[in-house]
Amino acid sequence: MRETKMKKAISMSKLLPVVILTMASLFTATAYASAPGITGPTFNLTAATAYLTQPDGQAVYSWGYGCTGTPSGFAPAAIPAATTFCNVMQVPGPTLIVTENTQFTVTLTNQLPSAAGNTSILFPGLTLVSTSGGVPGLLTQEATGTSPVTYTLIATSPGTRAYYSGTQGDLQVEMGMYGAIIVLPATIPSACNTGLAASNLTAEANWGESDFRLAHAAYNNIHACYDREYLFQFSEMDPRIHTQALAQVTAAGSCTAGAAGCSLNVSTEPYHPSYFMINGRSMPDDMDPNYAFQYPHQPYNGNPHMHPGEQVLIRVIGQGRWQHPFHEHGNHVRILARDGNLILSQTAGVTPDLTGLAGPLLFTTTTTPGLAFDGIFYWTGKGLNWDAYGHNPNSTDASAKLPCTPDANGYNTGAPTAINYFEWCQDHEKPVEAAPFGDVAAGGPTTLPDPNLFTNGAWYGGSPYLGPDATLRATGCTSDPYIKSNQTSCGQTGSTPPSGTIANSPSGEAGFAFMWHSHNEREITTNNIFPGGMLMMMLVDSREFVIDESM
Amino acid sequence: MRKLYQISLTIILIGVAAGVASAQSFRVQCPPSTITHPVVANNNSEPSYVGPTYTGTSGFPAAPAHVNGAIKCQQISGGDGYATMADGTQTYLFSFGPLSGLAKIANGQPGTDFPNEFNTIYAGPMLQPGDPATTVNAAGTFTFNGAVGQVPDLDNGGAINGHVDPRQMMDVGVMNGNIPAPLMAIDEDDEYFLTLSNVGMIMRPDLFEQHTVHFHGYPNASAFYDGVPDASVAINIGASFTYYYLAPDAGTYFWHCHITPPEHLQMGMVGQLYVRPRQDRVTGDLFTALNSQQLDLRTKCDSNTDILCSNPLPAINTAAAGAATVLNGGTSGYAYNDGDGSTYYDVEYPIQIHGFDPNFHFVGMTFNPEGFADMKDKYFLLNGRSYPDTVTAGSLQTQSADGVNHFSQPLSAIINIPAGKKALLRISDLDVSEYQTLASLGIPMHVVGYNAKLLRDQAGNNLYYNTNSITLAGGESLDVILDATGYTAGSVFYLYTPNLDHLSNDAENFGGLMTEVRIN
Repeated sequence: MRETKMKKAISMSKLLPVVILTMASLFTATAYASAPGITGPTFNLTAATAYLTQPDGQAVYSWGYGCTGTPSGFAPAAIPAATTFCNVMQVPGPTLIVTENTQFTVTLTNQLPSAAGNTSILFPGLTLVSTSGGVPGLLTQEATGTSPVTYTLIATSPGTRAYYSGTQGDLQVEMGMYGAIIVLPATIPSACNTGLAASNLTAEANWGESDFRLAHAAYNNIHACYDREYLFQFSEMDPRIHTQALAQVTAAGSCTAGAAGCSLNVSTEPYHPSYFMINGRSMPDDMDPNYAFQYPHQPYNGNPHMHPGEQVLIRVIGQGRWQHPFHEHGNHVRILARDGNLILSQTAGVTPDLTGLAGPLLFTTTTTPGLAFDGIFYWTGKGLNWDAYGHNPNSTDASAKLPCTPDANGYNTGAPTAINYFEWCQDHEKPVEAAPFGDVAAGGPTTLPDPNLFTNGAWYGGSPYLGPDATLRATGCTSDPYIKSNQTSCGQTGSTPPSGTIANSPSGEAGFAFMWHSHNEREITTNNIFPGGMLMMMLVDSREFVIDESM
Repeated sequence: MRKLYQISLTIILIGVAAGVASAQSFRVQCPPSTITHPVVANNNSEPSYVGPTYTGTSGFPAAPAHVNGAIKCQQISGGDGYATMADGTQTYLFSFGPLSGLAKIANGQPGTDFPNEFNTIYAGPMLQPGDPATTVNAAGTFTFNGAVGQVPDLDNGGAINGHVDPRQMMDVGVMNGNIPAPLMAIDEDDEYFLTLSNVGMIMRPDLFEQHTVHFHGYPNASAFYDGVPDASVAINIGASFTYYYLAPDAGTYFWHCHITPPEHLQMGMVGQLYVRPRQDRVTGDLFTALNSQQLDLRTKCDSNTDILCSNPLPAINTAAAGAATVLNGGTSGYAYNDGDGSTYYDVEYPIQIHGFDPNFHFVGMTFNPEGFADMKDKYFLLNGRSYPDTVTAGSLQTQSADGVNHFSQPLSAIINIPAGKKALLRISDLDVSEYQTLASLGIPMHVVGYNAKLLRDQAGNNLYYNTNSITLAGGESLDVILDATGYTAGSVFYLYTPNLDHLSNDAENFGGLMTEVRIN
């Protein structure tokens, strides 16, 4: 236990060099997310102890659910089996992937220290068909150290739900005993396999990208089709509680369960959390890969990526005891459902939309303890009033002159294999810069400052533009012989592709980065250190960039 | 004072040094015309809405069928300043201040200008530190709303092209922080040019911090102009950056600095921003006008093909006629393009909820690092003020460390409603550490919008609801209409927080998150 209280309050200005170094080492390899989990219909879970790593160097004593052996399967299948694991304890617990109206069982073996007593799992919103083994507890049947409990369950509606301990929840949930259940719909609307949904698969296949979805729809509703998905579980930790639990467990030793004194008396109030986590990890650890070897007990990450126009399902659960205002930069989120209940209009929609959604559009989606929501997000750049790809009809560079043929909604969707698939065509070739540094169209409304006057962010793609060579063109550094009148050679105005953009470099990913984070900004810190906590960078990647969620 | 002077001199020198490397580091941008708004003479007022900008799949470079909206510009400083809390404490801020629209801001109005206002060259004697408060307090009048610092570019034939004299910007911009930060208001279809000039934090010369503007909630935001320093660029001290957006869908947004958010937001770099709907410029039938917005793919809402379709046609056509509110120059308007007139208001009030932790602000004024986990707000603010300052009319002044009075909190929180009329409260919350509830004693709150979107399902049914309290976290906004129909002039109601421990001003146990609704 290295649980020393780090009382170093450091503001960004002093920490920045350190942070950049840390990130440089962490982000040389890109990593992505998705919604990985294990499949049933038989789940053999444990409750056990382990240490969770935090980016401040601390290892926090925790309890969590895990697997007693190799689970029956891992999903999505696109993540190679060799990289997956389900250890005896992990936080969050294994994501259980089941299908609507299909019965499944969860057997829980209690390997917690005997002083911790019994444990259990609550499955709010699911139908508990029967239990066997264990002993009766206050809220549900509980597992003792010697008698596992088996829950037989059925989910009668699709969607995302939480599961968590039903035994001394104020302590056990704080210690890490929670997880997610994803219920896939029994029926997928045919519209989710045709049209733009099919085109997106064509686009993925063209660039060698795998399909990382668990299903093609979140619900049996034509508005619930999606192209990509992520699961985010929000929780926080008060290290004092964990320290106290460890001290009492250690003092109790291998006492006999139920014997006098073989119990814990950890005070869970006053509550003063200093770790704020997404999927059990704090930023920047959350942006490392799923199943990264350095987090044997925190296998799930939070690192969303998407291409323009992709319908991205986000499954979000509040797993701690606080609410967190989760702000998605880049666009609003359409709330589809709450705890697996699709939110629909009370009346028929405007023709021909007969199943109108009634969930709100939110730019800040509050996470609430025990509550799950499903929402859909996308980013297209519609309405920016300038060409986000920096196309330039006067260039001699072929990729600067891609066509944009609008569909009925104004997007370039006719050719799924095009780099600018899903470009917003109304602004095609419309310039933003009055006198650009490099090979993008001129005559726009604004003048960008000289690069000497600003500081580059670690996730800055290097220019305002998206595309394989957009930044090189926009900074006058393309190998193309076309030279702007105000630019005689690459770098002459100091506008070379910027340095320091290590997490999203102009020669690498070069996507559009957006911060997704708790807007209780205090919570984007890790034990008083900024940046940290509930923060991740979402990247909108140009179509030719391969998003490999298995990394 | 000598020390302060030296610091400001240093910063000016830095600005000058950077200026040698490029053309100029401080500058403003407000083109009188653009590709989108090509005719100079048409860009200094809002034209009436008579039809969609584009129809069908047409777009640039085709000429628009109708040119809608205008050009709007604003300049702000990023730096520091002081504010006065309701218990009399002077609180140190990291903050934004106005560098255009000064007279409007001082009168509680948005500081947003049309090009002909913004590009007006100041003609009087030199602006003074603390202006407009310095001039007003000397019994002078201050009416200048143009860009502070802009001067004719003598190297280009005296053109008004954004060239500035940095002395005026430093004189006015240093220590002129406002809480909330300068108010911004634009109309749908406007092009908006916001210039942020980083004048440095004079009390913290150890910090060479950048500042940014995050337009919180903009749909389909640009990563480059999103103001997240990690994802884009951030302007250094002594230089300017101009953010550019076509106004997004109507709604109540807000803005803030995105550098080290737990620090810069807590320290006060938070402001208000709203977008008025196209419907304010409609003279005829509202339903017909909303229908014609469906002809432009940028503004249409087809819930069948767009999951984020934000503004469907109303299920019931009320045949309401437009009041053309913006064109009439009055205070009334609509919160959203409702198509049925249901979000009409007679007066509007931007209300920002915020909180200050005095310990954090004290530590923030020193050279010591602040702690985040222990952050605990003790001042609970509506428009940067706690009760009873919330019911003080006009600007609050604070003497800063430069010995000069500044208009530190220009926006009163009094809600004045003429009897029988409706008030729109554009409520935003930028708390950094906790949720807060605001309750209405008396007039019910009629909630019509949430997170800058009309509350309407995809079948066109309005989902408005009445309540007596709303709860928001930092990063959320909500639109409430208070309808004073049936209330008599002279009556007073309260907006206050049922988080009873928030009805305090640090050690004073009376005050906090409370203000008055006055029927008059």
